[in-house]
Amino acid sequence: MKKLITIGLILGLAGCSLFSSKVEAANIDITGTVQSRCIVNTDTAGMYGNPNAYTLTTVPASAGQLPIVRVDVSLANAYHAKISYPTSFSSSPSLGDTVAWTGAATVVQTSTSDMSGYQSASSLSGAMRTYALTVAGTTWFSVASVATYGGGQQKPFPGGSYKAVVLAECIAQ
Amino acid sequence: MYRSIILSILLCSNAIAHEMTPTYPTWESSYMEGIKKTTMAMFNRRPDVEYYEIGVFDDKWKPVPFVTSYKIINLKYLSHVKFDVYMSAKHSAKAEYICSTSKLRGDNVMIASKICSRFK
Repeated sequence: MKKLITIGLILGLAGCSLFSSKVEAANIDITGTVQSRCIVNTDTAGMYGNPNAYTLTTVPASAGQLPIVRVDVSLANAYHAKISYPTSFSSSPSLGDTVAWTGAATVVQTSTSDMSGYQSASSLSGAMRTYALTVAGTTWFSVASVATYGGGQQKPFPGGSYKAVVLAECIAQ
Repeated sequence: MYRSIILSILLCSNAIAHEMTPTYPTWESSYMEGIKKTTMAMFNRRPDVEYYEIGVFDDKWKPVPFVTSYKIINLKYLSHVKFDVYMSAKHSAKAEYICSTSKLRGDNVMIASKICSRFK
């Protein structure tokens, strides 16, 4: 009889402890915040090719390399991507004549097919193209840049090192 | 589902990247009367960049005066930083964007990255 009472007590206490642990677990709050963010990645550095004496270009057919920018967004409709091709050299030898700049930003790859309309929906303002990032995911942009020296008279660029900057912006909407 | 997996892999990958959060910061009271404060965080995964410039702008992209410890932050590769931006209550009402821009030292065609969060 004593044994039965003891076993009953043990089982009762075990049940109480299980019950109380359940109550404690129910009181633990789990909180979290989902926050949108944008990451600007430089996937491929650009390089100017020099197909002739008066042209510098990132076009691969002219021995250049297109810079590739990757933009990751984790929430739809939270950011605009603004990609600008260069309109001046950040450093160069002394230039006595004018440089004509052209270029283009292009969507080259997207992580989902929902983003396929980004290029056609984008807008151009000067050297800057603006894309509304309406889908969460990743977009790759390439930037073509062509600099021509001599104000249309095809003068050769002075020898030296030339540097230019592509600007990739991610602006919260 | 696949989209989330791909995005997670990309966000965790060892890319060359610049990141700033939160996307939508808010002003809070500081320990000084009439001065507002917000806290931003940055992460540098660009080995070619060591410095980032902070700027605050109104809705027409005109600069708005603000105070931080350093307007150009030294942020080593794979480092995080949290920084406070202080502004008078009067100016904080005008502030629309807070931006970080990479400062470059490199060769040939470089890519400058700029991320702007927005006060709503």
